[in-house]
Amino acid sequence: MTRLPIPEVVVAVAGVGLLLAPFMLGNYWIRVLTTMFMFAALASATNIMAGYTGYPAFGNVVFFGLGAYATGLAMTKLRAPFWLGVVLAAVVCCLYAVVIGFPVLRLRGHYFAIATLGMNEATRALVENVAFTGGGMGLSLPVQRGEVDALNRHFYFVMLGLVAAAVGATYCVTRTRLGYGCLAIRFDEDAAGSCGVPTTRFKVLAWTLSAVLTGMAGAAYANWVGYIEPRAVFDMNIAVKMFVMMLLGGAATVFGPLLGACLVELVGLMAWSQILNYHSAALGVIVIAVVIFVPGGLMSLRRGLSIRLLLDNVRASRL
Amino acid sequence: MLILQLTINGILVGGLYTCIALGFSIMWGVMNLINLAHGTFIMFGAYIAFLLFTIGGVDPFLAIPAAAAVMFAVGYLLQRGVINLVIRASVFLTLILTFGFDMLLVNVLLVLFSADTRSVTPAYSGVGIHYGGVVVPYVRIGVFVVAITLTYLLHVFLTRTKLGNAIRATSFDREAAEMVGVDVARIFPMTFGIGAAMAGAAGALVAITYSISPVLGGAFTMKAFVVVVLGGLGSVPGAVLGGLTLGIVEHLSTLVVPPRYQEGIGFIVLLIVLLLRPSGFLGKPFYAEVKA
Repeated sequence: MTRLPIPEVVVAVAGVGLLLAPFMLGNYWIRVLTTMFMFAALASATNIMAGYTGYPAFGNVVFFGLGAYATGLAMTKLRAPFWLGVVLAAVVCCLYAVVIGFPVLRLRGHYFAIATLGMNEATRALVENVAFTGGGMGLSLPVQRGEVDALNRHFYFVMLGLVAAAVGATYCVTRTRLGYGCLAIRFDEDAAGSCGVPTTRFKVLAWTLSAVLTGMAGAAYANWVGYIEPRAVFDMNIAVKMFVMMLLGGAATVFGPLLGACLVELVGLMAWSQILNYHSAALGVIVIAVVIFVPGGLMSLRRGLSIRLLLDNVRASRL
Repeated sequence: MLILQLTINGILVGGLYTCIALGFSIMWGVMNLINLAHGTFIMFGAYIAFLLFTIGGVDPFLAIPAAAAVMFAVGYLLQRGVINLVIRASVFLTLILTFGFDMLLVNVLLVLFSADTRSVTPAYSGVGIHYGGVVVPYVRIGVFVVAITLTYLLHVFLTRTKLGNAIRATSFDREAAEMVGVDVARIFPMTFGIGAAMAGAAGALVAITYSISPVLGGAFTMKAFVVVVLGGLGSVPGAVLGGLTLGIVEHLSTLVVPPRYQEGIGFIVLLIVLLLRPSGFLGKPFYAEVKA
């Protein structure tokens, strides 16, 4: 059977384009793309847990904050270099996910969702109140040396690398026993368990993977912006954006979250500069519309888009 | 004496927590829906009381029916128009939908009232009972009494009226309820409306007790969640027990840890209860949990 390798070609062209882009674009667009990549990586990481495994880890932004603070503290208190900070962030998030994962992952559905939300709030409260993190005053990271253009390119490639890592991880998950196990857990956890899927271990593994990627993104973000505070990095709005991007693109698909991240960021860029006061209302409306009309995400529209399809989507989940 | 004062404060606040959690509890119990906009519904109620007080000089306690009526209408229409469209979708679609509402509604409040902190201060707000070193403001007692009365009224409504029984039947087993002739498509908007009305009423009480700001809703949603999980889903007596427990634990904890950790204490209690007894103190396995 022969088939035109269209997806492969598209990916290759896009890849080369993205590698060359920072040498041709201005700093503004490099920043826009860097933000977009960060959210693409975050949405992909969320997808592993919420999309494939079906566990609504609503408070996953806790790992973003944790990663940011782990790096920040390592770099300010221990004078660790950037790469070591990122590695440390990954280790801290991994440990946190495993330790918290075993008890919390016994919960399901709403209970799990809110427990992760509570986890985020509790961790934020802790970081805000202990002295060595700088508390509510925030933490300034060491200033990166180098020329502005070079630094911008540096973080562009760091975030792009994270996207590649997240996509690679997702792709690996879909091709391994872990991925099949996670999908089985999403459809019916009890049935999966009785078929011999080690559900607890797989859930913890998936969550750890998701946590490590999220934490590394947090670490890169902390260095990029140079200043972090608890309210900004443990921000539920980041969690919601990750979820919206994943859902908009398509949960449990490899490229869906990337597509969602690009779209939400572009819409944000175009619309929100015009209507600053209604920024979160606009995001709220997008969220509501996505949930109602395209619950399967844009990847579910590959076969074409029609009003009828949107109405069928509505009909499928209404009372 | 300090312990007595803290316990009294805890009980008084616990009554308010109960009232805050009730609407959230019945929505969750009946529709298997976590309303993340619940806290913002409460803020709407609070701002209605604030508006009536500043513009018309209406006593905030008398604003309760108005706040409840407006929020009933808002809740009924939201369920009928939007939530009904996704009620059969997965848990996190409904979760994220209500978060979408929350973002929208908070934005509306910010545009209408700005982010400034406001308070409702009737003439009697400074006075109270002093007895042997214990101080209890009249307002707090009033809030407690009204909160408990509202709770009792909801309990009577749910257990003694036809509509209330239909709502409870739907929460126990939707299909069985449909089989005996309950019109679930009518029950859901009613339930959501009643839940929102309770939130509105609680909002007026919140406006009397605390300073208010549009962005405080999230904290109340989390309180409601903790209370419901502590007491058991969809149960009115459970909400009372959960509310009082949270109030007392939060206040007594200040004896051991600094008050700034008060928020965190609630979550720690929540996590412990979730892990040890997921259905709460008085909870039984529920429709929502069986199907979840």
